Amino acid sequence: MNIDRRDFLHIAAALGLLGVSGGKLHAKKRADELKADDILEFDPVGKVTLLHICDMHAHLKPLYWREPSTLISAKNLVGTPGFLCGEAFLEFYGIEPNTLEAYFDTYLNFEELAKKFGKMGGVAHMKTIIDEIRRDRGKDNVLLLDSGDTWQGTAVALKTRGEAIVDAQNYLGVDVMVGHWEFTYGKERVMELLDMLEADFVSQNIVDNDPFSDTFEETVFKPYTIKEVGGAKIGIIGQSFPFTSTANPKRFTEGWSFGLRLDSLQGYVDELRKEKKVDCVVMLSHDGFSVDQEVARKVRGIDFILSGHTHDPGPRPITINGTTIIIAGSHGKFVGRLDIDIAKGKVKNFAYKLIPVASKLIEADKKGVELVEKWYKPYNKELMQTIGKTKGTLYKRDTFYSTFDALIGEAIRDRMDCEIAFTPGYRWGTTLLPGDDILVDNVYEMTAITYPEVYTFELKGARIAQLLEDIADNVFNPNPLYQQGGDMSRLTGISYDIKVNAPTGKRISNLKVNGKELDPNRNYVVSAWGGNLQNAGEKLREDKIKPVYDVVTEYVKRKGTIDISNRSNVNVLDVACGCPKKGGVC
Amino acid sequence: MRRRSFLKGLSAVPALALLGNVQLLAEAKKAKPKSKNAISFKKALEVVTGGKGAKESDKVQLIVPEIAENGAVVPVKVNVDVPIEKVKSIHILTTKNSNARAADVFLTPRNGKAYFATRIKLSGTQNVVAVAVLKDGSAIMASKPVKVTIGGCG
Repeated sequence: MNIDRRDFLHIAAALGLLGVSGGKLHAKKRADELKADDILEFDPVGKVTLLHICDMHAHLKPLYWREPSTLISAKNLVGTPGFLCGEAFLEFYGIEPNTLEAYFDTYLNFEELAKKFGKMGGVAHMKTIIDEIRRDRGKDNVLLLDSGDTWQGTAVALKTRGEAIVDAQNYLGVDVMVGHWEFTYGKERVMELLDMLEADFVSQNIVDNDPFSDTFEETVFKPYTIKEVGGAKIGIIGQSFPFTSTANPKRFTEGWSFGLRLDSLQGYVDELRKEKKVDCVVMLSHDGFSVDQEVARKVRGIDFILSGHTHDPGPRPITINGTTIIIAGSHGKFVGRLDIDIAKGKVKNFAYKLIPVASKLIEADKKGVELVEKWYKPYNKELMQTIGKTKGTLYKRDTFYSTFDALIGEAIRDRMDCEIAFTPGYRWGTTLLPGDDILVDNVYEMTAITYPEVYTFELKGARIAQLLEDIADNVFNPNPLYQQGGDMSRLTGISYDIKVNAPTGKRISNLKVNGKELDPNRNYVVSAWGGNLQNAGEKLREDKIKPVYDVVTEYVKRKGTIDISNRSNVNVLDVACGCPKKGGVC
Repeated sequence: MRRRSFLKGLSAVPALALLGNVQLLAEAKKAKPKSKNAISFKKALEVVTGGKGAKESDKVQLIVPEIAENGAVVPVKVNVDVPIEKVKSIHILTTKNSNARAADVFLTPRNGKAYFATRIKLSGTQNVVAVAVLKDGSAIMASKPVKVTIGGCG
């Protein structure tokens, strides 16, 4: 471990480890034996502990994951949790720069801190944390809750059709989960995997899609589960991603209907409180952080929302209308620990800590290492192959543009001979540091989905403009309930200006295709993957359909060294900087 | 309530939704752009309220999805929190469909409850409006936006 005393003090300060008595000696004594204990330190409250993970995206191994350097939202949401990054994030949560916490929560100084603090996450490291808390609190007093987006995101997940990840969840001891990308394995496979999963899968917002199911509240899964923990009855309502059927291809969930369904949610909350007499109501959610803040405003009687989907690290809980919301980042970077003191059927007190899974500081559990090796073994030959090198940081995230997406766009344009390439604004992927080798595994980390086909087709100029407006409205709608929680689609071959706060349909201007003004009446050759865009086009080139991971791998192999510009193709007119602070204007 | 218990109790509970679907099909067929059946929202509201207009009221509970999964079949539920004896009809209107009238349901006290559920077609993002006309000639309404999107960027 290459952590010196100075670094330790940074870490200790960030994590609040230094007590009132200063602890200079204390710190000195422990500097070279800094271990999980320090990161785990926690003043326990009550008898119940809920551990929370979300959006692991199938990352069994530790990885680098850089948080966004641009996170733009509608004016009314600027500076609020869910729309914070960089210095605005540090300021809001009171975090010192260059600490372990700053490294986990922001993009600032990322490359340098990455060398110091190492990779993040990994199931073997998560397990060490989870086991330690279970040992400390007593295993019957602890629940592990998973907000979903767990089964998808890496090659092993895709190649085992989710099985490797379910095995890892059973190993971690997940008790309850909800879903989103899980559904992209298709209904039948979902049911098979749920048979293997030892956790309860709950969702109040998925019903059969026939005219009467809605009326009779026939949910596909159990809407909630009740767990007895630490002498208390905890009701846990499931909320899977409400917009699965619009954000992902409908064919995977044919016959199921999603939605927020706040009316039935209120019904289940009341049922748990009045009929089932639970002591605490928890909603395990994949709504997204900003949507769940709206839910807290609209639905009465939920004690805690364990949120997910938007990948926000939430170092501090937020409480709205008596409902406390937590969210534990993404990619296995964090385990959230929520201690609850329950007495006489009510929540009296709670304490929360977002624990960073710092793989350099926390020992890996042996069984976890073996589990990861077991699932990788059949694919190592393909996945560990080095296909190139990157000059700069390759990362995903940011509202309009990120380097790994630009690489994917370049590869598609090169291979598909199209004028414009669309890459989806997902928030999962990986980060490669300057000088890093690019492995086949890394390409999958950016593209491993069950509908990887790159489609090439024609779209009329006017339709392209209209689609961009439509997508912009999903990202920048001032009402979180009408957002879908992703970032703007990435475009290669197109540049444009945007007014984020302009009315729906009027945000985008100065659209140029390869430097020339967009002609609304001309057909353009477009390639796209990961969305529904091909359904809006015509003259689909059937002979050119190819999985995106193959397209990117071939391109990187041929280029050898990858050098992607940091310069965005989108010009934001009404907001001035990457990470706006409170007050509306940067 | 589960479907089974509903079916058992069918004689006691009115099956209002059936009525709406029939009406809806007829309306959907008509809803072609610039057809002779085109009717604006303003005009439609005038027609169903006899020119009097309707007042926003929380007695009308309108349940629609925030984002439509499929614009061709958007589930709509309306509950009017007024004794059935006082309710004449429920109307579902849309603000931007070329034919703004999606469904008209006329009620009698034997319906038991002023509640109605159906599915309507939406040509794009717009408001869905539920109007309840009362027997005293007044009308109350509720309105909610529904987004129709190609999606695919989550």
